[in-house]
Amino acid sequence: MTMQAWIEETLARALPGAVVRVTDTTGGGDHFEVDVLASQFVGLGMLEQHRLVYAALGDKVGYEIHALGLRTRVP
Amino acid sequence: MSRDVQAEIDQLVKANPVVLFMKGTPSFPMCGFSAQTSSILQACGVPYETVNVLADPDLREGVKLYGSWPTIPQLYVGGKLVGGCDITRELYQRGELEPMIKAAAAPPA
Repeated sequence: MTMQAWIEETLARALPGAVVRVTDTTGGGDHFEVDVLASQFVGLGMLEQHRLVYAALGDKVGYEIHALGLRTRVP
Repeated sequence: MSRDVQAEIDQLVKANPVVLFMKGTPSFPMCGFSAQTSSILQACGVPYETVNVLADPDLREGVKLYGSWPTIPQLYVGGKLVGGCDITRELYQRGELEPMIKAAAAPPA
């Protein structure tokens, strides 16, 4: 499974019903743009929204996932 | 005497209204996100403190724990974490970052 697929599946599982779009920005499997639209973000500030995503991705962030451009939105 | 990195970071973010923990320096940024974040702060036209985490591995890991934020750069304004590059850019584009920074940098009335 590619890292891109792993991110998509992991976020879909952690945020049921979310619309997740992952782009591998270099094709190298470690620089990604991630756009997440999730009802779980409603009422949360950007910081908390991003923390939810980072928590789901766990300790891969900053390591196997070297660069992560993140955009969180509410429906 | 072993080093108390968390206390050092706490002191840094409390002593300076605007602190950016980044990879490299504003004139020699070593990562695209760090470069983008420091140039946004530059555009706000208010002095800001930077900390090059590449020069201090303990601090690099310590600030992730301190802010419970897994990536660098990290921007602190008024002693509180604002976020990384994405949030800084979004706040700047919404026109919310500059007033926040100017308020933190303003001397107490």
